[in-house]
Amino acid sequence: MAFVLRRLLHASIVLLATGFISFVIIRYVGDPVNNMVGQTATLAEREAMHRALGLDDPAAAQFLRFLGNVLSGNLGVSYRYGEPVAKLIRERAPASLELSLSAMLLAAGLGIPLGVWTAIDKGSLLTRILLALSVVGVALPTFLVGIVLILVFAVNLGWLPAFGRGAVTDLGGWTTGLLTVSGLKALVLPSLTLGLFQMTLIMRLVRAEVSQVMRASFITFAVSRGVPRRSIYFRHALGNALLPVITIVALQFGNLFAFSIIVETVFQWPGLGLLVIQAIQFADVPVLSAYLVLVSGVFALLNLLVDILSPAIDPRLRDASHQGRAA
Amino acid sequence: MRLEILKAPVAFWSALVLACLCIAAFGAPLLAPYDAFDPGSANVADARLPPGSHGLFGDSYPLGTDPQGRDLLSAMMYGLRTSLAVGFGSVALAALMGVTLGLLSGYFGGILDAVVMRIADIQLSLPPILVALLIDGVTLAMLDRARYDLLAVPTLILAISTSLWVQFARTVRARTQIEKNKDYVLAARISGVGMFRVLTAHILPNVGVPALVIATVNLAVAILVEATLSFLGVGVPATQPSLGTLVRIGNEFLFSGDWWMSILPGGLLVAVALSINLLGDWLRDRLDPTTRTP
Repeated sequence: MAFVLRRLLHASIVLLATGFISFVIIRYVGDPVNNMVGQTATLAEREAMHRALGLDDPAAAQFLRFLGNVLSGNLGVSYRYGEPVAKLIRERAPASLELSLSAMLLAAGLGIPLGVWTAIDKGSLLTRILLALSVVGVALPTFLVGIVLILVFAVNLGWLPAFGRGAVTDLGGWTTGLLTVSGLKALVLPSLTLGLFQMTLIMRLVRAEVSQVMRASFITFAVSRGVPRRSIYFRHALGNALLPVITIVALQFGNLFAFSIIVETVFQWPGLGLLVIQAIQFADVPVLSAYLVLVSGVFALLNLLVDILSPAIDPRLRDASHQGRAA
Repeated sequence: MRLEILKAPVAFWSALVLACLCIAAFGAPLLAPYDAFDPGSANVADARLPPGSHGLFGDSYPLGTDPQGRDLLSAMMYGLRTSLAVGFGSVALAALMGVTLGLLSGYFGGILDAVVMRIADIQLSLPPILVALLIDGVTLAMLDRARYDLLAVPTLILAISTSLWVQFARTVRARTQIEKNKDYVLAARISGVGMFRVLTAHILPNVGVPALVIATVNLAVAILVEATLSFLGVGVPATQPSLGTLVRIGNEFLFSGDWWMSILPGGLLVAVALSINLLGDWLRDRLDPTTRTP
């Protein structure tokens, strides 16, 4: 229990620190008044705006007000769109979430079976090809994978769209592309691109874990009892191997945030990643600082969940090695 | 060890490829068929020619031309030079920061250690690309485009090294904590050797080897992060294009079927990253197998 409280405290400190950085950015970078009133405003109008935004108050008061705003969901107004940032995020989150989830499903759906295969059938041609490909895969930048896929499947073969989300249906605030054919078609290439490196990672992890588990004595016991091979592989071995894999996968969700920025840029996918890139290009400071708060919030929450759950599941995981990758 | 590389064909060929690429990159001003930065060499009439074609005035373009008529081979060589320079610079800075912090927090412990390790823990869960993107992006938002272009490369190097220093710090710190209690350190301190000298001349050589391995492993990461940032438009300025920038420029013409302008620089990028990785794997297996991942 003390452990949980300590992690909560830790997470709160991190959030406070990022909130502070966020506040400094939004308050002191550029001129908030200038961006709000436009170029033709008179001096009196500027001063009125200055007072309205509360820019004369002491810095500490402004910081507290900023924190209050964030906690109540007010993340400022975008310079570029003129709309509340929270609304922008809410509109674009479904696109990013759908992409991330389908990429994860693809990665796990392919990665786990392939990982099991390469662990069991060590000498086969498929195993050697897969292992060689996974070495190359680490050196492939994500944006290049996307470009090659577009070239092959969209430009040359014309099977799948090269950008956009296709036709989406609005389910009361959540726009989904899963209910239309064009939406589903548009989802394929981006999910493949985003999921590819995750798949490589999962495959290597599952392979390592299954290889380790297969050497355990309870497996030998099952074999000697005459349990059919398939049951051994999937029920006994895989079940034990999956625990650390699940934890690492949960941590990798954070990675998805980063890589989805790239994938959304390549495919012009209207999600949070594209929003951030455009905010950087247009110096849309409120969006940037809100994104900072969002990212740190998601990461803190994710880490907290994993920190609390993983020792409960598997004590070996207390110091998990993080497999980092560039892009 | 020097001759043992001949026994591992993969590592040997990677080293060879890498050496050739480095010579091509850093010798670009002498070796490239055309000077990519010279406006006179770009013939707009020759724009977007496929590989192996010849220009209007008889110039041969072995790899084709870019949208402004520059020879792609030369542009790639200069781009490789920028990519490698930023990559090396970032890793060097990350190593400097990480090793220094690792030595200090490992040796002195206390509150310095606690603070550094807290920050490291937090940062370890963030992917390098995200850290670098946020630092670079915020800087770009703060400065207008002109001033940013001047500061772009140092900012980029700083951003990438900030995302990479943690591994260095952690490993060196762990090793320093072991080394600091050993006899030779105590002997040095008793003889009155100054703190700085003890750290650099006595402890550092014994904890430095894993740092070298980490540096090699992270070199490819740094190069790919830089390429990605340049592709996204927040990396090196357009006056000093790297391979990522070239991919970005060529990407606009992908739909008309002009594939070589983005695929060829991209392929070169993969070749560099792959040979660094393979060479680094071999190096790591020889020097410090404890850092091997499954």
